[in-house]
Parts: sequence; structure tokens; C-alpha cells
Amino acid sequence: MNEHDTAQEHKFSIASYWPSIVIVGAIFGLVSFVAGLFFGYQQINSEPTGSFFSPATISSGIICLITAFAGMVTVWHYTKEVSPFLKLGQGAALGFLTGAVITVISLVLSELWVLLFDPEYNQKILESIIANIEAMDMPSSTRDDLIDTMADSMDQSALRQLFWGIPVTGLFNLITALIGVAIFAEKKEDEL
Amino acid sequence: MQHRWFYTSILASLIFLVIVSLGGGIWGAEQTIGHWTGRLLEGVCHQMPDRSFSINGVQMAVNTRCFGIFAGLLAGWLSIPVMIRLKASKKWTLRFLLCTVFLQIADFTGNLLGLWVNTNISRFMLGLLLGIAVAAVISELFKQKQ
Repeated sequence: MNEHDTAQEHKFSIASYWPSIVIVGAIFGLVSFVAGLFFGYQQINSEPTGSFFSPATISSGIICLITAFAGMVTVWHYTKEVSPFLKLGQGAALGFLTGAVITVISLVLSELWVLLFDPEYNQKILESIIANIEAMDMPSSTRDDLIDTMADSMDQSALRQLFWGIPVTGLFNLITALIGVAIFAEKKEDEL
Repeated sequence: MQHRWFYTSILASLIFLVIVSLGGGIWGAEQTIGHWTGRLLEGVCHQMPDRSFSINGVQMAVNTRCFGIFAGLLAGWLSIPVMIRLKASKKWTLRFLLCTVFLQIADFTGNLLGLWVNTNISRFMLGLLLGIAVAAVISELFKQKQ
């Protein structure tokens, strides 16, 4: 271990986390927003099929799959750019905070999109989803209930979305960050 | 085993995640979509009824593959103390993880191309394997210092 590495170890602080968290969180937040927008407009422009398999439903799974890897990428970035030594708890913090940044950035961009470019975006998605549900083969009472819950689900405040989004995205990224620690981080000699 | 406090915290989170993923059925709700369990996980799963298990006639909050992953993670996490004793090398746990990821991709692609039709049970089992493999890789971090 050279002098530079040793100095970096001693300087380790929460501030050293942030560049990796913000860079990776911003990239994945942007990807999540763009993917959400892509599937959103796919949904708006689609014909009602009466199937549950629609752009709106598959978007959540695909976005989750993409963003879950951010925790691992953050750990990789940190071990390349800051220090190759990373403990379990530090990796977990990197992962969870990356998940939180992704949620915040994705949400802020979505709100800005609606505010600046397409104020009718959410309404158009809701109308498309309702049209699709109306084409489904199910009892009318079930259909009405489903439409009500969908409408209610789409009408969530930004604060509520953060409340739901951060813990789950944070936990997934924490898990992948731990995989990242197992793969990319080196152990100090006294930990071997 | 080291980092016991951390291990217990994540264990509690995973138990909570699995309970939430069971959906509104265990809470007496008529449906999961719109219920708090469904809302908590709507951003991570498509929640399609025909691709989900149901409890008390109410679909779960995630599909069978996601539920398999969560259940596998929990089962794997509970097994970490045993995995540490088995002293599986990092190389083998990583190979196991890569195999399970490959299986997921192959299963999804084969189904998409019409080569075979996967079922709720097969999706659940493959998800379960993936969750266990993830925990196996992470188990390395809990090994006691020599």
C-alpha cells in the first residue's frame, strides 16, 4: 500500500461518498426518467387491448431492473475513484443513498416535465389506462373498483411518492451495493 | 460471524419486504392495487394478476418472479450463518449468481420468443434461486476476521 492510499484511508468521511452517489444517482435517475417517459408515451399512443400487459405495467419492472444495479455501480465508482477499501456498512450507505438520489432526481424531472412541457401528461396516461381497463373482460363492479384505485394511484403527491419510493429503491440498491462490496472492494490487511 | 447488528437490520427489512409482498389479502383487503402494500411496490413490479400468486383470493403485491427473489433473499439471508460455516469460495458463489442471472435471462427470452411457456411456479423457482445466490455472494462479507 502506498502513501497516497494510506492518506485516503485516513481522510475517509461521509463527504467522500457524495461524488459517487450523486454521479451514479444522477445518471440512473435520468435513465429512469427517460425510460418512464418512453413507456408513458407508448401507453398514451397505444390502442386499448384489454390486456394487463401494457407499456404502463411493464415499465415499472424494467425501470426497477435497471435502477437496482446503481448500488453496485456506485460501489465500483467509489473503489475506482476514491478508495479501494470499503467496509460493509459503508457500501450499504452508498447503495441506500444512491437509491434515494435516483428516486428524488427521477421524481423532480418528472414533475418538471409535466410543469414545463406536457401539463396533460398524467391525465393522458390515466385516460389510456382507463380505456384499457374498460376493454377488459371482467365484472363491471370489479372494473369500476380497478379504475377508481388506478385513478387514486396516479393522483399521488410528490411527497407521497418519495415516501413510498425511497425505502424500496434504497433497499434494492443497498443489496446490490453489498454485492459490489463483495466483488470490487479490497480488504485491509488487518481484516484478512 | 461479524456485523451482527447490520445482519439483523437487513433481516428485519427483508422480513418486512416479504410480508408486504404478500399483498392486501393477509390484511383483509378486497384487492392489492390501491392498498398500501400494492402502492409500496408498484414502482418495482408490473403487478399483473395472472402472473401473481394470490392469498385469500387477493393477488399478491408483486408477481411470482419478484416474490421468488424476495423470498430467496430472505431464505438466503437466514442461511448466511450456515453459508459462512460451509466456507464456499467467493469464486463459486459468484459463478452461482451468474448462473442464476443467466437462467432468468434465458427463461424470459425463451418465453418471449415462444420457445417455451414459463409458469408462475417456474418464475417463482428461478427468482428464488436468484435471491439465494445474491445472499450467498453477500455472505462473504460476514465472515469472521481470521
